Amino acid sequence: MGALKVGADGDAEAPAGKHALSAHIQKCFPGGFELAAELEAAAGITILFGRSGSGKTTILSCVAGLLAPDAGRIAVGSRVLFDREQRLDVPVVRRNVGYVFQDLALFPHLTAEQNVAYGLGRLAARERRRQAQAMLEQFRIAHLAGRKPAELSGGERQRVALARSLVIEPQVLLLDEPLAALDLPTQSQLFADLRRWNREHQIPILYVTHSQREVFALGERVVVLDAGKVLAQGTPQQVLRAPLQETVAQLAGFENIFDARVIALHPAHGTMTCRLEGSSVELEVPLAKAVAGEAARIAVNAGDILLAVECPRGLSARNVLAGRLVGLEQEGITVHARIDCGVVFQVKLTPTARESLALAVGREVWLVIKTYSCHLLEPEPG
Amino acid sequence: MSWQALALSVKLAVIVSAVLFVVGMPIAYWIASSRWRWKFLVEAVVALPLVLPPTVLGFYLLVAMGPRSPLGRLWLRAFGHTLSFTFEGLVVASLLYSLPFAVQPFAAAFRSVDRQLVNASATLGVSRLRTFARVIVPLSYAGIITGLVLSFAHTLGEFGVVLMVGGNIPGVTRTVSIDIYDQVQSLNYAVANQTALVLLAISFITLSVVYAVNRKVWVL
Amino acid sequence: MKNVRLGSLFLLVLLLAKSAPAGEITVAAASDLTFALTEIAHGYEQKSGNRVKLAFGSSGNFFAQIQNGATFDVFFSADVEYPRKLAASGLAAAPTLWVYGTGRIVLWAPADSPLDLGKLGMKALLDPSVQKIAIANPAHAPYGRAAVAALQSFKLYDQVRDKLVLGENISQAAQFVASGNAQLGILALSLAVAPTLKGKGAYWEIPTDSYPPLEQAAVIPTAATDKSLARAFLDYVRTPEAQAILRQSGFQPPPEKP
Repeated sequence: MGALKVGADGDAEAPAGKHALSAHIQKCFPGGFELAAELEAAAGITILFGRSGSGKTTILSCVAGLLAPDAGRIAVGSRVLFDREQRLDVPVVRRNVGYVFQDLALFPHLTAEQNVAYGLGRLAARERRRQAQAMLEQFRIAHLAGRKPAELSGGERQRVALARSLVIEPQVLLLDEPLAALDLPTQSQLFADLRRWNREHQIPILYVTHSQREVFALGERVVVLDAGKVLAQGTPQQVLRAPLQETVAQLAGFENIFDARVIALHPAHGTMTCRLEGSSVELEVPLAKAVAGEAARIAVNAGDILLAVECPRGLSARNVLAGRLVGLEQEGITVHARIDCGVVFQVKLTPTARESLALAVGREVWLVIKTYSCHLLEPEPG
Repeated sequence: MSWQALALSVKLAVIVSAVLFVVGMPIAYWIASSRWRWKFLVEAVVALPLVLPPTVLGFYLLVAMGPRSPLGRLWLRAFGHTLSFTFEGLVVASLLYSLPFAVQPFAAAFRSVDRQLVNASATLGVSRLRTFARVIVPLSYAGIITGLVLSFAHTLGEFGVVLMVGGNIPGVTRTVSIDIYDQVQSLNYAVANQTALVLLAISFITLSVVYAVNRKVWVL
Repeated sequence: MKNVRLGSLFLLVLLLAKSAPAGEITVAAASDLTFALTEIAHGYEQKSGNRVKLAFGSSGNFFAQIQNGATFDVFFSADVEYPRKLAASGLAAAPTLWVYGTGRIVLWAPADSPLDLGKLGMKALLDPSVQKIAIANPAHAPYGRAAVAALQSFKLYDQVRDKLVLGENISQAAQFVASGNAQLGILALSLAVAPTLKGKGAYWEIPTDSYPPLEQAAVIPTAATDKSLARAFLDYVRTPEAQAILRQSGFQPPPEKP
């Protein structure tokens, strides 16, 4: 099993642009929700990341042709699927866009093999069977060919759904939270299958999720969506590890976000000192374009903070804060600790660390935070 | 015991059910999938025979079939006689009268098919017509069978409309329901009872067989 | 004290006297009496202050209903057999049976028919343009039986048999012809002269010797709710005014009572 590998593991960067998906979508909904998103997805896996209701599924529906945008343009390479100005709207059945729905939508009255072969109606019966069988084998479910969806496990059904969409050789693949209901081992296996297929075929794949883990495990690029707008695009590292916007920081799980005021700038060192509002805690953060006295928002990832039970010395880190342990909770393989240093910091530890340090509520501890672990967030618009 | 009348009724019911299957499915599909804002008017029209007294419907059909109405004249010109008092006239009348009994169960079944399945079929490149045949219909068997059975049963027992446009011609429009009525009117209660019993037995057996078969279909 | 008691008793009697019913009877009548009886009943209501509820339909139907307990006060049948049967089985008082008239059958053609009934008479039935002939169902309607008898008498029955369409009652037969679905019909004279059909077509009286007389009788069923009122109404129907209306409506006077 093991922990999921982080980052695209050395996959060669695919030549972008040739059959890249480009989507400019604008759509207003009666409830007031407005989607205005622009994104480019080259061959490979592009993650659409965001909260529920941020518009991710809407984007998929528009690309697939199930929903028509009010304005915009959707194209795969040079093939235009939708263009409001040109009044072009290729019907769903001709778009050749594979879509694995969140609830899979497998045909309950057909066997696994019949499901996979469903989109191959144009071919002769023998060819149809051959291709379906080959695809089933690729996803290691050939032995389940004769079973109906009701007789398959979650992971097996997921694979049938994938196989069904891929056998038609789509130009774009859309996946809506495909791994949400699966357990970890099954998820890892499916990751592996998907990436193997991706290496061989290299088409743009839009993968919708709200799980950070999946972003790092699968994504070569990630597009962050919130309230119908694209907040950031880039590699997972760029976007989620060093978020520029607060919303992204929140989405990326930066548990510690504070109001602060710039006290002093140290251009020669490349840092500046900020005091966290409502306390006397001061942090050294990377230098930014700011003036003393200005307000700022600082985000620190809970996993980036070190905990010590003795006051540490001789460290490279600039920020060493004394505090008291006020909360300790274990959730699976993560221990969430809360330390009051004047403001309350959230820190993530392993259970081993907790044991070996004999941590208990009330204990006096020290927090160590590197300058580069402090991220200055852009002021929120409006 | 008029076997002729019974056979006529069964023949009428079978033909009407078959035609309603062919005609009712597209109507039901349209009702289930269309987003036209005036669709409710069509649904109301389809449902009208449910609330119209059969004699009222029958009366207006009689007028419509007569040589004074444009439709009647058309038919007269084409076939040399009007639709009234013919078996074909009964078929037409029964089609109208049993329409909602077929269309409504069909439409309800189609509507209950998960929209996502239809979407999935579209993304896999399958046309709407073939999606209808390969996904919607197989998942609607129960509703389709219900519609067929209801239209069969309803036509078999039909009285009011047949009375109005049939003319009670033996072997042509004297259905078993008219026949039983005649026997009662003529005070031949014994014969009436006999015929009614046979009709009841046949109907019951037919319905039982269909529902028994329908049971299997549920095991998907 | 006594005065109060007397007073209230007096009031009670007064009240009862006031609400002493304008009587009401329900009359079942064959459909061919629709216009005649409606007029007659109206006249009676004016004169007596009582109310008459009329139900028109097929005599056979009413017969069956009375057999099964229907509480009509008077039954005007389109024949004499049904009332006779009721009296025989004790469901009606035999002495109350009264033949109120005899009906006639006529050959009727709608106004747009090319056939000259006056010239052709029964032969019109053989005209090639006649595809359907409407009559009342002979199985249970007296006028239907009379129609069949007349056809047989004229030796036309076998030739026109396939063209016959049967109406549930004489009114429906009229409906078939009036709407043009049947080209000719053998209807009751009373219907032919009724306001609704008058002017919509032409009729030819079929000779009375070709069918047995359509004696039509009324009777008071034993289950009647108000027999005295029923008798009162029947008496009114015997009056000259009422008889005149019957005459006008195509009913011939009843044969001389033996």
